[in-house]
Amino acid sequence: MKQKTLRELDLAEERLEAAHSGLAATFAPAAEIVASELRDDQVIEWAEKGLEMAEQSVRSWEAAARFFEVSPAVARMMPFNYFMKWADCGSELCMESPTLAVSYFAASPGAMSRLRSRHIETWANLGRGLYKGTWKSSALATRFFEASPKLLATLTVPEMERFAGLLGALSHRSYDMAAECLAISEDIFPMLGEDKRAFIRLGASLTETTWRQVKGLFESVARALPAIQPDQRARFLRLAQGLQDSGKANLPAAISSAGQAMSQLDGEHHEPILGMGETLMKKTPGAVPSFIESCPRALEKVSISQLSQWFEQGVGILDLNEDGGLAYFRIESAKSHEALEILSSSVELSRIKDVMEMYCLALAGADVKLAASNELADKNIGWVSDEAPTTEGSTVYLPAQEGRYPTKEENFALYKVVSTHQVAHLEFGSFRFRYDLPSTLFDDLRPQIAAVPKDRDAQAAEGGWATDMQRFFDLFEERRLALDVFTIVEDGRLDAIVVSDYPGIRTSYLAVQDGALKSRPDIRSLPAREALVELMVRLSLRQESGLAAPAKYRDEAGQVAALARKVATPTAVVEDAAEATLRIYAILSQVPNEETAPDDWEEVDVSDTEGAEAGLDDQQLLNQLTQQSEEGQADEQEYNPSQDVDYRGEFKPELGQMMTELRMQRQEQPGDQEGEQITQEMLEEMLKSSAEVDLESGEGGTEEATGAFADNMLKEAGLNMPQTPEMGQGPLVHLDEDGGPLNPDEPQTFVYDEWDFRADDYKPRWCIVRQKTMAEGDAGYFGSTLHSYGPLADQIRRQFEMLVPEMFRKVRKLEDGEEIDIDDVIEAIVDIRTGAGPSEKLYWKRNKVQRDVAVVFLLDTSASTAEAIEEAKKVTDDWDAPSDPVEYMVWLRTRRGEGMRRSYKRIIDLEKEAMVLLIHALEAIGDVYGIYSFSGYGRENVEFYTIKDIDENFSERVQRRIDRVAPLHATRMGPAIRHATSKLEAQDARTKLLFLISDGRPQDRGYSREGVEKEYAVHDTRMALDEALDKDINAFCLTVDKNGHDYLKTMCADMGYEVLDDIYTLPNRLLYLYRRLTI
Amino acid sequence: MTTRTQTLYRSYIIEEYHLADEPYYVPVGDEIELFEAAYRQRIPILFKGPTGCGKTRFVEYMSYRLGQPLTRVSQRSGEDADDSDVQNGHRNIPLVTIACHEDLTASDLVGRYLLQGDSTIWIDGPLTRAVKAGGICYLDEIVEARKDTTVLIHPLTDHRRILPVEKRGELLEAAEGFLLVMSYNPGYQSALKDLKHSTRQRFVAIEFHPPPPEIESQIVEHEAGVDRKTAEQLAKLGEKVRNLREHGLAEGASTRLLIYAGKLMAQGIQPRRACQVAVNWAVTDDSSIHSSIAEVISSIFE
Repeated sequence: MKQKTLRELDLAEERLEAAHSGLAATFAPAAEIVASELRDDQVIEWAEKGLEMAEQSVRSWEAAARFFEVSPAVARMMPFNYFMKWADCGSELCMESPTLAVSYFAASPGAMSRLRSRHIETWANLGRGLYKGTWKSSALATRFFEASPKLLATLTVPEMERFAGLLGALSHRSYDMAAECLAISEDIFPMLGEDKRAFIRLGASLTETTWRQVKGLFESVARALPAIQPDQRARFLRLAQGLQDSGKANLPAAISSAGQAMSQLDGEHHEPILGMGETLMKKTPGAVPSFIESCPRALEKVSISQLSQWFEQGVGILDLNEDGGLAYFRIESAKSHEALEILSSSVELSRIKDVMEMYCLALAGADVKLAASNELADKNIGWVSDEAPTTEGSTVYLPAQEGRYPTKEENFALYKVVSTHQVAHLEFGSFRFRYDLPSTLFDDLRPQIAAVPKDRDAQAAEGGWATDMQRFFDLFEERRLALDVFTIVEDGRLDAIVVSDYPGIRTSYLAVQDGALKSRPDIRSLPAREALVELMVRLSLRQESGLAAPAKYRDEAGQVAALARKVATPTAVVEDAAEATLRIYAILSQVPNEETAPDDWEEVDVSDTEGAEAGLDDQQLLNQLTQQSEEGQADEQEYNPSQDVDYRGEFKPELGQMMTELRMQRQEQPGDQEGEQITQEMLEEMLKSSAEVDLESGEGGTEEATGAFADNMLKEAGLNMPQTPEMGQGPLVHLDEDGGPLNPDEPQTFVYDEWDFRADDYKPRWCIVRQKTMAEGDAGYFGSTLHSYGPLADQIRRQFEMLVPEMFRKVRKLEDGEEIDIDDVIEAIVDIRTGAGPSEKLYWKRNKVQRDVAVVFLLDTSASTAEAIEEAKKVTDDWDAPSDPVEYMVWLRTRRGEGMRRSYKRIIDLEKEAMVLLIHALEAIGDVYGIYSFSGYGRENVEFYTIKDIDENFSERVQRRIDRVAPLHATRMGPAIRHATSKLEAQDARTKLLFLISDGRPQDRGYSREGVEKEYAVHDTRMALDEALDKDINAFCLTVDKNGHDYLKTMCADMGYEVLDDIYTLPNRLLYLYRRLTI
Repeated sequence: MTTRTQTLYRSYIIEEYHLADEPYYVPVGDEIELFEAAYRQRIPILFKGPTGCGKTRFVEYMSYRLGQPLTRVSQRSGEDADDSDVQNGHRNIPLVTIACHEDLTASDLVGRYLLQGDSTIWIDGPLTRAVKAGGICYLDEIVEARKDTTVLIHPLTDHRRILPVEKRGELLEAAEGFLLVMSYNPGYQSALKDLKHSTRQRFVAIEFHPPPPEIESQIVEHEAGVDRKTAEQLAKLGEKVRNLREHGLAEGASTRLLIYAGKLMAQGIQPRRACQVAVNWAVTDDSSIHSSIAEVISSIFE
């Protein structure tokens, strides 16, 4: 520092001391530090600023002192020109009030670290604006500066301006309140997240209307916010704003009680409830607080999804009557209570699904799934109802919620009745109908009809019938009528069986039937033919008396009733239902669908079944069946299909049997079934003729709809596997991969030799393995997979745990040990007595057989694992990765794209699931294990992903990584195996195992030699496995490629390998093998 | 003054225990003919099947049917037995049942020396007794036994039909009527406890399954003493619960459990309750399966 400068500073110090004694002591140390930061002339300028301030007025020395005190800290934060600006602002404040300037300077170090230099003036002016020359305003402005560092930590400058504006407005009313609000706001802003303006605006608008409540607002918000999910707080405040805008009285009280209500709610529910609040806000803001306050009470009774139903009803009421709506949302109206009662007593499918699924499974004895009805409707395979229960042969569909009865027990019983009825279709063989099988109760008409050729039969026979059910329905001219009759008769049969076979459910079953009767149309309101059909429905629902029929068709009614009842016995089979249908149809076809005058009805006595049946003549019926229908009479109405009985739902025998057959077709091995395959054409043919599908309702023309239905059905049955487009089967270009050895150029890359079996030598440093850690996905995958395997996962884990006790074996006949073995001692004494030499081995001990296993699992994540599982059954041998890079990418995209489009499981999914189960089990026994996946593209890009490193402990990160395992590129197995081997080699374990899980033969771009494509890769892999064996590492290959035997024989000559016939057994089998291999 | 001693228990010498009545057995298939044929040819027999489906009952029945007095031992129970027991007149082939466990040693089967006062006496094991007496030796749950015991039976199960008694330095030739029968349940045994091929290929295997509902209800009706209808319902329950195998249930409800349930009902326990304790809680500990089976029970029983 120049002499001159020092002199000037000394001078300044003297003057300062003169202004106020002791000021020089503050100045000196600050000057020393400031001098090291600034140029000499700047230091002087700074000193003069302070001096000027100190000499301003009597008390301004305090501001100057604080100025010097904080200067070193502030000077470091900004360029000199801003630094001076800051000093000037202080100086100006000091002119207004030295106290203000003191707090300004005191807050500066904290505030400046958050504030851009150019905003200094703005900030100073904000504080200054609050100062109105009075003592109270000075206190407020001082408080403002004091709070600034904290406020600026969360507020931006424009927000700060708004907030200061709010404080200013408040201060017009009361300085005390403004100060108190300022104090509370320090806590509020950090809780607000991004959107603070909502809150400031709320405060501002409240200030305008009822300023006395502003403090209450601040307090209530400060209390309410912590209880609300952070991401929902802004929404909450916007709702409050809405209330304010609507002129709600006492806003703070509303916020406080709403906040309290929110605090009682599950955090997950905040989002939907606020969403409903927003909907309500648009209609009747006044109802919002009551609604939110009622939520905790309502949620005690109902679930969140039911709450939204309750809400919807309330909105409906609100539309009609505002007061009623308000009372509703306060749960103070009878309607509201009632709605909650109904909802709370209703049963949701999702809650009982597991139990009921197992129940259905037990009853059906087949693999039955349970799902909500709308899922079936969404599949667009012919079923349309979102709510009606039904089954398509493998899944029972039930309504998502059932709340018809006042108690949960009754609603559950209804579910049980409905599922029992649907399962009965499977259990008692509705879809196992065979045209050629005899019935048990009738003289079969079917063979006799076949003898009478008809036009449409002949036509259909050409194409053949896809199903027996289709063949049966082809007999009828009026398919819809036949379907109704068959449905009623068959359902009646099933109900009879269920009620007799399951006495335990009889009571609820009959109650449900009674209920169903109540919702049936009045027979007397129907035209004749429909009336007779309705009569059958009622009869099947056990209505015995009061059944009416047109007097004219009294006999027909009796006959129909007798036939329907005949089948309703526990021993009847589906073919009986078919025979009865034939007869009833024959009778009904003679009954014109005409109106009957109210006086012409008569009650039918249905008890005399024998008499009625006696009036039937098979031959006559046959004639009626086969004759062409006459032209309808003038007054005949079109036949309206019978309304479904609610608990029986939609019964579609043709579609159901079709789906069942399609599924069987999928399971059968191609080539070994007796019947012919159902083709898409046959399917479309059936759909066109069937009365079960409403083709007109679909988009586009009938043709299109048929095609879409057929496609969906095939897909649903897992059959629609369009041939994969021919991919790049171009000439196999010789690509001996020009170039020589490679060098690992990056960290985490490793270079390995590759075996060339033709040259009978290694290609040195030929492949680069790039080791990467798998990216992390969702940890939830792990848990949900375990959950979906449910009992199986635990069972497997238990089996593994059982391995552990095996480690402590009691070893007998030792010369030394824990204790003497009394049996052996007796034996020894006996030996002595008998004169033989006694054994000295009299001890036993527990021998701890240390389990010492290290294992590496190598997952093949090549693109082919993206294949849907059914497709994998195809011969996978007929393709190979094209060598040309461009072609290769195209090939890759097609393959991966295919996988993406499918919703069914892919091979990779099962690999992942197997890994989850494996980890679950391995963690139980504490083996050292690593899981890696590999793929790659070309020899310089073998990707080796770590899912769980062998030295790594199992953690949530591993769970996350599994989620991200996805199909990638090709399969260059050799280098991956070599790299895995090197990992195992580093382990010090007695048993080392390398477990390779793949879906096909090794292949990659250039993983071949001219003319010997496949062998090259196979031989290199084999050599890699041999190398592992030389290092005392056991290798095992598990493949899901059914054609795996041919190359695996070569590849795993000395090692174990297994080809899985059914890929679904992969998880199970893998664990089984693991146990066997490591013992 | 004389004190009258009263025997409070009944004991039998292994070979002399007679079953008074014919064991109740309903054939499901051709197992009786198979057993008889194998017995005539002295081919050892292996029963495979889940627990409680009638394996033990069948061997008792066959021993009765083949006209033999039946003898039962639990091992080591014959310590006070005297092997000088004289065979009475007619050909008498006992049935010796041995429940195998993991500590079952060769001496437990063959016999051992025991101390008596200052001297030692030799006691034949149950297998030796069966070999001497020419009876059927039934090894229940053979895979549970230690490996060395399974090897012991090898010379008995081929053309040699001999039992080496090492301790006494003798080879025992099996009497005419001797036959080895064993049972095992492939279902729940772990991979560790599989039967070695050298052992299993010495037997013909008869497989046992839970009987079909018609037969099962007949059995339940007879054994539990319930009426026909209840028996049919129990059989139906058994069938339905077995449908859950592989879906979380390791083993379906055995006929034995159904009989237990029936017996409880015969004692006046409410049917649903009886099934719950005898079937539902017996087959699994999994609560979700419990509730599902409970629903099945409540559908079948009132």
